[in-house]
Amino acid sequence: MEGCPRNREIGPKLFDLIPQGRKWYQEDKNNIDQEKKLELRLGPPGGDEEDRSAMKKKNNNYTETRNIKMESEDKSFQGFNSNHFSSSNKTSQKRTAPGPVVGWPPVRSFRKNLASTSSSKLGNESSHGGQINKSNDDGEKQVEPKREGMFVKINMDGVPIGRKVDLNAYNSYEQLSFAVDKLFRGLLAAQRESSGSEGEEKPIIGLLDGKGEFTLTYEDNEGDKMLVGDVPWQMFVSSVKRLRVIKSSEISSALTFGCSSKQEKMRH
Amino acid sequence: MTEEEEDSSAKMSEDVKRYLKLDTRSSAAATSEPPCSSSSSASALANNKSRNFKSFEPPCPDHVLENVLENVLQFLTSRCDRNAVSLVCRSWWRVEAQTRFEVFIGNCYSLSPLRLTHRFTRVRSLVLKGKPRFADFNLMPRNWGAQFAPWVAATAKAYPWLEKVHLKRMFVTDDDLALLAESFPGFKELTLVCCEGFGTSGIAVVANKCRQLKVLDLLESEVTDDEVDWLSCFPASETHLESLSFDCVESPINFKALEELVVRSPFLKKLRTNRFVSLEVLHRLMVRAPQLTSLGTGSFSPENVLQGEQEPDYAAAFRACKSISCLSGFRDLTPEYLPAISPVCANLTSLNFSYANISPDMLKPIIRNCHNIRVFWALDSICDEGLQAVAATCKELRELRVFPFDPREDSEGPISGVGLQAISEGCRKLESILYFCQRMTNGAVTAMSENCPQLTVFRLCIMGRHRPDHVTGKPMDVGFGAIVKNCKKLTRLAVSGLLTDEAFSYIGEYGKLIRTLSVAFAGNSDRALRYVLEGCPKLQKLEIRDSPFGDVGLRSGMHRYCNMRFVWLSSCVLSRGGCREVAHALPNVVVEVFGSDDDDDDDTVTGDYVETLYLYRSLDGPRKDAPKFVTIL
Repeated sequence: MEGCPRNREIGPKLFDLIPQGRKWYQEDKNNIDQEKKLELRLGPPGGDEEDRSAMKKKNNNYTETRNIKMESEDKSFQGFNSNHFSSSNKTSQKRTAPGPVVGWPPVRSFRKNLASTSSSKLGNESSHGGQINKSNDDGEKQVEPKREGMFVKINMDGVPIGRKVDLNAYNSYEQLSFAVDKLFRGLLAAQRESSGSEGEEKPIIGLLDGKGEFTLTYEDNEGDKMLVGDVPWQMFVSSVKRLRVIKSSEISSALTFGCSSKQEKMRH
Repeated sequence: MTEEEEDSSAKMSEDVKRYLKLDTRSSAAATSEPPCSSSSSASALANNKSRNFKSFEPPCPDHVLENVLENVLQFLTSRCDRNAVSLVCRSWWRVEAQTRFEVFIGNCYSLSPLRLTHRFTRVRSLVLKGKPRFADFNLMPRNWGAQFAPWVAATAKAYPWLEKVHLKRMFVTDDDLALLAESFPGFKELTLVCCEGFGTSGIAVVANKCRQLKVLDLLESEVTDDEVDWLSCFPASETHLESLSFDCVESPINFKALEELVVRSPFLKKLRTNRFVSLEVLHRLMVRAPQLTSLGTGSFSPENVLQGEQEPDYAAAFRACKSISCLSGFRDLTPEYLPAISPVCANLTSLNFSYANISPDMLKPIIRNCHNIRVFWALDSICDEGLQAVAATCKELRELRVFPFDPREDSEGPISGVGLQAISEGCRKLESILYFCQRMTNGAVTAMSENCPQLTVFRLCIMGRHRPDHVTGKPMDVGFGAIVKNCKKLTRLAVSGLLTDEAFSYIGEYGKLIRTLSVAFAGNSDRALRYVLEGCPKLQKLEIRDSPFGDVGLRSGMHRYCNMRFVWLSSCVLSRGGCREVAHALPNVVVEVFGSDDDDDDDTVTGDYVETLYLYRSLDGPRKDAPKFVTIL
């Protein structure tokens, strides 16, 4: 099978726990790596990262001979924003379908829906060498969406870095909730550590039932802020404009005050 | 122009007319006299019929020199040559400015429209490019800019005899098109490539008002459907149309109007229809325009499937179009009808199958007759086998583009290094290649570098990010290294797959002619960026995404940015401070910083992290039309 770079890359990271003058957020990344390694995954190995700013972390302590299909790894970034990178990279999504990255592969939008429009015209071939016959589940004929997936912004209280999620990649609130946890768990822990409290990672649960520390809310196309989970999934997807993970204790104020509460949150 | 300048230029033109003996070959010579008859506006060089031999004073030596220069310079069409000429001295600068009829502006923000109209006074043709290429892939928020409006407003006043406008990646509104149609009575050619912001109503105005129109080409542009029957808006008389391309227009058209238009357009050579044109309609068009040289075949699918004799004889229609050398379209191909194009295959120089799901077995009988093909675009549905067939026959191939039928990262991928190698062995004259695949080997890429020394454009897109050579597991460094080393004419390179800093060291060492470089998900460190910025003296356009390059790398190119058209770095590791440093050090460079969204949201801005950096040189400082989400440092 073709190399699964991301998968293998995680293995050697295990040996990088000894900080070599690296900053705390590097270690944090390693913790996340370990956890990732132990997680059960639903998708095929080497699931993609959904966030387009996710970067490959490379570590040049390792030579290429280590694994046959290993990717080389480079050293940690000197740059200012390793924080962003380590966090964003390691909170990648693992889903059943590979996560799309914005603008990749670099094919213009009008070339993207060929699979759905051409599938009805079969040639004489039906073998693999024949025409490619893909049944595209999006079922849209000749619609050329501007975006590959349906990316909406998601912010979390206490985390300055906002993210984006592709709602088309999920089919249920549970999946979304799971994704939110993956996305923000590391970032939240990083934030907490920097403000002095323990940086230990805790899963973000109870987003939908109000029982967790955080609750997932959204703003719909009319500007109203609502709790996630009340309407059928498809209805939600068609009306949601952005998502927000707020502290459960602040639910009432967040939802009633609308814009002003949003601004309050922005001042973190 | 000041009175003084007007006088002297009027005088100069008179003198030029006197000295002129030969018929000129001015590249933008007007066939009809421009409406303004003042000699300062008319191109005196083209107007040699009306010499004025009235009495005159002997011209002073300066004017003599300038007159001679004007005569000579009219033969210079290359803008590089013209730029060089304009640097000789002030006098040459002035004369060159007055004899430049075609202006090319690679970045609409590199100067203001006012500067254009002040310097060049006799422009007939304007090429203007706006957004950088990565905007095509949703990496740039909407409403970023590149509006045509200020340009059309300025040129409408300054160049009433403007004939040609060619725009790429600009935002053009219907109002802009209306102003264009009204302001330029002699307008001849409109080409809009990858543009947006307008609809069929804007096109209708152009069709209706530009009575001299020869070329109306809408290529890969987004055209909103205003439900206007724009084809009926062409004047009822015979037209001057030579080229009409609307294959990107995603709205139904009036077939009858198109047919009638074709009938009254005797000069029509290129017709590229959209996917709403069925085979039946295409047939009617072809029968009425057998002189076509370039045909966009629309859907290539019948509206109704008739039995036997009742069906139009499509092959006969193709046979009748003896001049067809370029075929495209096939937007919704019904495979049984593909053989109809066989009669024109031997004459084809360009074939675009890139919208058609064509299997190797469908391709082979067609391609084996296409000995003269120079440009071939297809989907990867043709598989390595199809590419082998191309390699076996198309010995004259210069440009190959293979697009993915299924453009996702982890799909199967029917083409590979096998196809690439076959092409390299069969098509030795290859100059340009764009190849999307899921897996590749250094061996195949190296083979191409050795077999195709004429390559000027090498763009390989291995769709899975960070994919190594799938046979050896090694990075793709060696393959791309071979390309830059062996292809000594290479001017454009796009890299992909797993790449370390080593690949970039090769690029810097050997890529001495590279003007455009595209990088995505590659490299290990700032050294890679430094290799390129220090090593490639001709680099003009650098576009990088999702690679670990930071402030140090950015800094290493300070000496180059004033000589480059633009640099794009998105989702790298840049800080605001680092970008600001560049902005402060280079006052002639505009440094824009923005995120991927067009709403002004400071949630996602962490203060220092830079999502996208776009810098470019500019003569007129930062633009005034930057939207809120763009910060100019």
